[in-house]
Amino acid sequence: MSPDAPRILVVDDERQILRALKVVLREAGFEVVPAETASEALDRAAVRPPQAAIVDLVLPDGDGVEVTRELRKWSEMPILVLSAVGDEDQKVRALEAGADDYVTKPFGTRELVARLQAALRRAGRGSEEPVLAVEGLEVDLAARTVRRDGEPVHLTPIEFDLLRVLVRNRGRLMTHRALLSEVWGPEYVDDIQPLRTHIARLRAKIEPEGRPRYIVTDPGVGYRFSF
Amino acid sequence: MPRPFGFLLSPDPPPKRVGVVVAVALVGACTLIVYPLKQIAPVVSLGVVYLLAVLLVSATWGAWLGLATALLSALAFNFFHLPPVGNLTISDSSNWVALVAFVVAAGLASSVAEVTRGRAREAEERRREADLAAEMARLLLRGNSLREALPTAAARLAHALELPSAAIELEAVEGDERHVAFALREGASRLGTLVVPAGTPERDLRRLQERVVPALEALLSAALEREGLQGEVVETAALRRADVVKTALLRAVSHDLRSPLTAIATAGEALSLDGLEPQERWELAGVILEETRRLARLVDNLLDLSRLQAGAAEPRREWTSIEEVVRAALDELGGRESEWTLSIDRELPLVLADPTQLERAIVNVLENARRHSGGHPVSVRARAVRSIGGGEGKLIVRVVDRGPGIPPAQLERVFEPFYRAGTAGGGHRGSGLGLAIARGFTEANGGELHVESLPGQGATFVFELPLVSAQAEPGWDERPADAPDERPAQPRAGAGPDREA
Repeated sequence: MSPDAPRILVVDDERQILRALKVVLREAGFEVVPAETASEALDRAAVRPPQAAIVDLVLPDGDGVEVTRELRKWSEMPILVLSAVGDEDQKVRALEAGADDYVTKPFGTRELVARLQAALRRAGRGSEEPVLAVEGLEVDLAARTVRRDGEPVHLTPIEFDLLRVLVRNRGRLMTHRALLSEVWGPEYVDDIQPLRTHIARLRAKIEPEGRPRYIVTDPGVGYRFSF
Repeated sequence: MPRPFGFLLSPDPPPKRVGVVVAVALVGACTLIVYPLKQIAPVVSLGVVYLLAVLLVSATWGAWLGLATALLSALAFNFFHLPPVGNLTISDSSNWVALVAFVVAAGLASSVAEVTRGRAREAEERRREADLAAEMARLLLRGNSLREALPTAAARLAHALELPSAAIELEAVEGDERHVAFALREGASRLGTLVVPAGTPERDLRRLQERVVPALEALLSAALEREGLQGEVVETAALRRADVVKTALLRAVSHDLRSPLTAIATAGEALSLDGLEPQERWELAGVILEETRRLARLVDNLLDLSRLQAGAAEPRREWTSIEEVVRAALDELGGRESEWTLSIDRELPLVLADPTQLERAIVNVLENARRHSGGHPVSVRARAVRSIGGGEGKLIVRVVDRGPGIPPAQLERVFEPFYRAGTAGGGHRGSGLGLAIARGFTEANGGELHVESLPGQGATFVFELPLVSAQAEPGWDERPADAPDERPAQPRAGAGPDREA
């Protein structure tokens, strides 16, 4: 293991999962800081801040949402939550508490590693990057212009704002409430239907035919701009 | 409420012959009264005295006896008082007028009395019908079971209508030579039948058809609807309970299946990576084995619980060594020696129980204790105690952990399926099934399982298994386990004479 391998805090009360994850993440080039309880996790993170955290939602002395909220108070590190519950509400709570993404147990380790790397890339990228160009789509956030396959696309102000928020947070799962709050304002966080409508219009303008490629739906939770 | 003149206008007058006697007596009395009155009033005007008798008689016994009284009065008045006295001739024409006027007045008075009497009788009938309807409503709508209430209601109906018998059936019944049947309907649908004896007078039959049957139909329809609703309520409650159990099961399965699966999958993927130390490979293989065992136990528990809940856990009892059962349970749990301290008395008597079920019970209690013991060893003690009452005694197994203990309010709840004590530091790895299963199997084998705990000082789970007399002496190990008529004596120690035939 290289001495500058990114340190990942892994919080799970299942010792066996911890043991196996340690090997998997080490082989993917990370150094694991294991913790079995919420308080141990917060202690370890405070002593020597990790570059990212993977937090199980079910912990003996609290829950992962609480850990996420505490970490977010002082750190912008990417946080992935592990959920065994299959419960959308809990995922949403974790994302609203500041988690970047979630992975459902049982997960494939390749998926977990990919999500972790994506989150780390995003964190290292910095937020000011005015132009995004991915496979046939070009978004200039400063000039507020969008081109698809070189052709200019006309977006309404709301559609552009939606796209801007998604692109700025690309790779990150944005909950319905987060999108509504950013684009429409905090008083509209419960109006999911208009959000769906605008997402549909935005997709019609920028997505290729068929399955959406850029704006991916996470049913019951939100949307993410994938790249 | 008794009325001073209750016999007047009563629907049930005293017998007719009493009426005749009373009428004659009253006419006699009036005749006598007229004598002194003749001194102060003209005799022609005194016929009015007899009207009292006529009114009294016709109000009590009806118009016919009233008219007869009127005629008798006319004759008596004529004979005794109208001149010439002593015969039935009348000399003065004005006396004729008085007599005719009297007879007409008396006749009118009796028919008015008769009409009033009829009204009174009708009112009384209505009152009784109303009473009857109210009581029938109470019987049919308040009771728990409509079918049980029907005979009482029918008896009450027969009594009220003075019928020798009556029956209310919820089926369609045909009348025959001995019975008259009234169909009870609501709209087009048949609700049931009212059956009365064939000899019932025409008037009563008409009254039944016109007044009783419609009320009964309405009542019966309401009662049937109510019973239907009650049934639905019971059914809904049962479904809701089943739903709660199902949801709890799903949650338990969701967490308890996914966690070991995640560990197994992750360890499996880790094993496929290059560059692992031998020690790591060994550890990862251990992860897979242990988590597989855990999954298998969960599946066993789910099956056990469904068996227990379906009442399909009939124990196959045989002479069983508790020490062997405890050791088998420890084997099944795996883990390190240092997790347990064992203290089992030598030469413990055997118990008559299903060894497999006992092992399931003990495995679950041990697993629970290990989970909550916070890394401290769990102590398992077994000994036999004689019952104070001179009975057969019990075998007691105590499983003591040094975990956080159980608050008093949760002592019994921990045995409920899917209940998980949510205390800090307790971990979440239990499915919430184990203790329910342990208690179920212990009780199925005639034993008891309870828990003692002081919060902060750990918990002690206590199995009490009945000892049966046949094996109080040593050497019973050789007793064949599958003797066909092997029935345990009373499972509880000291519980009176045994039942062996």
